[in-house]
Amino acid sequence: MQVKKEVRKIAREMLRASFTDAQLDRGRITSVVDSILAKKPRNYLKILEYYKRLLRLEAEKRHARIETTTALEPQIASQISLNLARRYGTDLTTEFVVNPALLGGMRIRVGSDVWDSSVRNRLERLQQQL
Amino acid sequence: MSSILEEIETKIAGLKTSTTKSNIGTVRETGDGVARIEGLSDVMLNEMIEFPGGVFGLALNLEETEVGAILLGDATKISEGDEAKTTGRLLSVPVGKGLLGRVVNTLGEPLDGKGEIKSETFYPLEKIAPGVIKRRSVSQPVQTGIMAIDAMIPIGRGQRELIIGDRATGKTTICVDTIISQARLNKAAEDSRDKDYRPLYCIYVAIGQKNSNVARVLAVLEKEDAMRYTTIVSAPASESATNQYLAPFAGAAMGEWFMDNGMDALIIYDDLSKHAVAYRQVSLVLKRPSGREAYPGDVFYLHSRLLERSARVSDEYGGGSVTALPIIETQAGDVSAYIPTNVISITDGQIYLETDLFYQGVRPAISVGLSVSRVGSAAQIKAIKQVAGKVKLDLAQFRELAAFAQFGSDLDAATKARLDRGQRIVELFKQTQYNPLPIELQVAVMWAMQNGFIDPVPVERVKEFQNKLQDFLETRKESLLASIRQKKQLDAELEANLKATLEEFSATKPVG
Repeated sequence: MQVKKEVRKIAREMLRASFTDAQLDRGRITSVVDSILAKKPRNYLKILEYYKRLLRLEAEKRHARIETTTALEPQIASQISLNLARRYGTDLTTEFVVNPALLGGMRIRVGSDVWDSSVRNRLERLQQQL
Repeated sequence: MSSILEEIETKIAGLKTSTTKSNIGTVRETGDGVARIEGLSDVMLNEMIEFPGGVFGLALNLEETEVGAILLGDATKISEGDEAKTTGRLLSVPVGKGLLGRVVNTLGEPLDGKGEIKSETFYPLEKIAPGVIKRRSVSQPVQTGIMAIDAMIPIGRGQRELIIGDRATGKTTICVDTIISQARLNKAAEDSRDKDYRPLYCIYVAIGQKNSNVARVLAVLEKEDAMRYTTIVSAPASESATNQYLAPFAGAAMGEWFMDNGMDALIIYDDLSKHAVAYRQVSLVLKRPSGREAYPGDVFYLHSRLLERSARVSDEYGGGSVTALPIIETQAGDVSAYIPTNVISITDGQIYLETDLFYQGVRPAISVGLSVSRVGSAAQIKAIKQVAGKVKLDLAQFRELAAFAQFGSDLDAATKARLDRGQRIVELFKQTQYNPLPIELQVAVMWAMQNGFIDPVPVERVKEFQNKLQDFLETRKESLLASIRQKKQLDAELEANLKATLEEFSATKPVG
């Protein structure tokens, strides 16, 4: 239990050191990992694993997944990316996915927030209300 | 102009509803009725989480990177990678009079096959107990119909009285007797259209019990026509630990509806030892740190917040009440174990049942020395106080003398009289199960004992004498019983009447 606490604490400090101007910095991440690998503190593998997990979750918060039934026109896609970047910061990465199961409309997921205007969602809501 | 604005507004509203914002997470692992979910950044403590397939969970652990949730439905439907969604709702159960006569599970869904439960009101399971402003002290009695309890360990409406004892000492029986007694009183008041009488509705919460036990209780209550005023919340041993942990809170929510609407309710938690065990399981699976006997640190708060919800509220707030009768099962009579001491300290007194007494034939096997009611005497009716004021003291002295008298045969007259009286009181307090006595009969019988009418009867025939006396009173002196019931105290006229009746009865030489 004590070990786990220590691991978490170090990994959290590493994550804190990986930001510049509230954005993840690739250069800083590399240097933080390198310094751990050079020093090899106790449980360093666990620390790195936990750090990786924190980074993954952090990256997911800054990743937008846009699902549509058909591929979007490049112009609309770039407009959506721009709008999302304005809202969530310029380091937001976007991913466009075609998902016919939505039946129509669009579903955007950023971190754990989801905006759903798909037909499937509306049908499900209708089903619940009835 | 305004109509155009309205049109635009409705269009905007329509647009708003077409896109929904929700907060979701991904199931990372699931098992043992628990799921760990990544994401769900906006989830609140105790909020319901929706999983695919209509399964719901309850967020109990909010951690740095994940959320620990207990699952309320079929856990096998959930697999790793599933999306879980916040709902913004707290877990609620249906409440109201529609639940009377029904057997339901933790979520308020019917188990008795009598169709849907008609209820439009829902109450959250977890609710903060009424505060000091809303409360008032206990002032009305709960007539259990068990003479030993009504006379010596009286229970008031709004009180929390623990029933504690080893396995098979008659803990549940006392509760079932109490429910039957309430049903009879409620029914009598309904029949006589007595508007002053406040009916007491009962909720029996079975936690981790055998299904056969629940079925037996149900059968007894149905036979005695007590289900009309009773709800059974059943989370038997075959249910998940989650449902067992939540069942008493569901019962408390159902009881609170009665209290909020100015009515009285009685909740029986059968039993809180198994509830603590279920909570321990949930906590350990959620990887919460464990403490003494592997119970989590908040097991005291678990029971204190549950029992604190029973209260008597003041007349400005409707004057309703929730009385709680929690049950604790001890191991080999050990009341100093962790959970028993916790619950003893939370409640307003306890009824301690002893195995030895049970096997000696003293049933209900109430240990007078260890049982106490801290607030109930304020709620006793005056007549009972008049006849039972000294009984507890007499019995305690008798137990002490009886242990002492075993060593010597030469006893002075005063000691012998006290021993004789004690033996007769013990006999009087023996009572068969599912046979609660109305309060006026209890008063008459105890008055007879206090005034020496039972002293000439041999100890082994006291019970026979008592039964005959009860028959005599019920069949031939109904008016006397009715006036005790109405006046609620013994005045000179009533006492004279009682004396005449007892003399008339003794003259018939009931036991030869």
